[in-house]
Amino acid sequence: MMYLLDILLISLTAALINNFVLYYFVGICPFVGVSRKVEMAFGMGCAVTFVISIAALISWSITTMVLIPGAPVSSFIAGFFLPEQAAAKIDLTVLSYIVYIFAIASSVQFVEMYVRKYFPMLYGSFGVFLPLITTNCAILFACLTIMSHVTGVDNPADAWDLGRAIALAFFGGVGFTIAIVIMSGIREELELADIPEPFQGAAITLIIGGILAIAFMGFTGVDSGIRDALMPPVEKQVSTIISPQADILSNPSTFAALDILSHVRRP
Amino acid sequence: MADSPTPFERFVQGILPENPVYRQLLGLCPTLAVTNGMKPALTMACSVGFVLLCANIVISLIRNLLKPHLRIVIFTLTIATFVTIADRFLAAYFFQMSKTLGPYIPLIIVNCIIICRCEVCASKQGVVTAASDAIGQALGFGLALSSIAAVREILGTGMLFGIRVLPDAWPDWVIMVLPPGAFITLGLLLGCVNWIGILKARRSAK
Amino acid sequence: MRSFKESNLFQAWLVLLLATAFGAALAGIQTKLGPVIEANKTRETLAKIPALVLGEDPAAALASQKKSLSITLRTIEIERNGVKKFYTVYDAFFEDGTLAGYVAKASGQGYADKIELLLGLDTEGKTITGLFILDQKETPGLGNRIIEKPWRDQFLDQASATRLVVGKGNPGKANEIDAISGATISSRSVTGIVNNTITDIKAQLVIPPKEAAEKPAPPGNETGKIKENT
Repeated sequence: MMYLLDILLISLTAALINNFVLYYFVGICPFVGVSRKVEMAFGMGCAVTFVISIAALISWSITTMVLIPGAPVSSFIAGFFLPEQAAAKIDLTVLSYIVYIFAIASSVQFVEMYVRKYFPMLYGSFGVFLPLITTNCAILFACLTIMSHVTGVDNPADAWDLGRAIALAFFGGVGFTIAIVIMSGIREELELADIPEPFQGAAITLIIGGILAIAFMGFTGVDSGIRDALMPPVEKQVSTIISPQADILSNPSTFAALDILSHVRRP
Repeated sequence: MADSPTPFERFVQGILPENPVYRQLLGLCPTLAVTNGMKPALTMACSVGFVLLCANIVISLIRNLLKPHLRIVIFTLTIATFVTIADRFLAAYFFQMSKTLGPYIPLIIVNCIIICRCEVCASKQGVVTAASDAIGQALGFGLALSSIAAVREILGTGMLFGIRVLPDAWPDWVIMVLPPGAFITLGLLLGCVNWIGILKARRSAK
Repeated sequence: MRSFKESNLFQAWLVLLLATAFGAALAGIQTKLGPVIEANKTRETLAKIPALVLGEDPAAALASQKKSLSITLRTIEIERNGVKKFYTVYDAFFEDGTLAGYVAKASGQGYADKIELLLGLDTEGKTITGLFILDQKETPGLGNRIIEKPWRDQFLDQASATRLVVGKGNPGKANEIDAISGATISSRSVTGIVNNTITDIKAQLVIPPKEAAEKPAPPGNETGKIKENT
């Protein structure tokens, strides 16, 4: 129940409340470039949604299996060369950006080949957009958001699992599709309007994007409302004490920080 | 070498006539996302400038070894590496700023400006030309970012670089520092730049 | 048959070479900057602790005497409605080993995004000694006024036994937090996070005085050692 609520809120947030295009400004290039016709916009949206889900699957797996400290694959391989303690601490997150961009590029290639071979109809509708997607920031952004929820958490229990990661990515793609389809609908009507010459094209698209963003701001706070309505009240607790996090404290850099702290002065 | 551009020409072209944001409509994501204040905008411009310069130099050095079908892979690899370096550097020495910019620093990897400059200029020109092209484009990008950020920060908070510039009676237009303000400001500024271009073209035609 | 020169592997030699070179560069960067980044992250939280436990002025006085609090970290795990939840709690000790107070790191949903905060509690866990907002993305000019000191200071000296409520128009009333006008939801979110945190960790927060006296914060001692060395 709690898990489903969490998935619901993540999906709703990604698709509407913090819309990828209108709140985080990722995927602006296709938003401005490929939003002339509704069919094109919808094809682009589908392609992005498809690729973003696959990229999220790949990047979540790589992050948890290889990149983070104590990940099974990296510590297994390092186990041949290093003592067990050191092998469990191998931190490859510095490579994450490179790994993600290649994961995206290769999943785009893979999706293109697969779709062309087995779903020629589908390929006809959005295949032409696939190569463009590699440089679509929305996909890398989804990977980075997932990474920040896997590595950037204090407690391992708060780290996102695959379900949450896919929910974020898929509904982020859906949000992108919603935004770009609305935009293209408006732009089809704009063809008939008399726009001052300097504002034709990208300028008016951006201004309309601003108005759409204002409209989407109306969704803000919906998630906390749903959470309040559905979340059971704070109740009984079953408790156990866990020993101090020894490995954090034995990290020399923490001591350095503590040392700096002791001389903190306030103006 | 008669028809290839001189370094100085590339440098000047990048700032206004071929401005990456206003003329080529490249790199719009960071342009919209980090311009709610001057400080993040300038940090972003510096990071993009650093990555662009390094990537252009490296690509230009190895331009004769590039195979056409592996070209994009090498571009991406180079850019991603320098972006990681920039990101780590910011996190180590400008921690607050790196927190503010968040995912938009790694998103430089897919910033079309850099891959476009690598493709169009660095993979064809010598090191000096490529470097001056990078600096010119970076300055143009910085100029665009700071113009948008200045408008948004002054109207939205009444401040510039965190220092109050408008009288206290000014009612802050909060919408300007929120996402919609970014779209509207860029749209209006883009329209103004186009307008100036049209007026100039008309005058020279007469 | 294609010769080796035409094979993909040979053609990719530049990619492999570059990958190796860049990998080495990144490894260098990581070994050099990694510890600094980690220290930045830790310091962000730890630097706030003296003021949260003791109050701003005593903390400044303590710092000017070149004294410090030694801080140990523990995790409190609770189970609420079948879901496990973790809180990081920092126990702050004076140099002589007596307990100064606790700081809990908590987070919850705000109006726009997650709000992350530090909550200071006294040695008995009965009074709130400080509140600091670490991270928020509330609306600028409205919701983000939760970071302002006058508003946060309303939480000071509130008793933790009763749940705090958000009200309007009567600041200073016990157990009542005055809502920021135009940002009732943000105010309510912060108050809710504070209430939930206290309810969740109350049972496990207080270290029995005897135990606290017996183990005068092992990492604190080591911190002291490092200080002597430098």
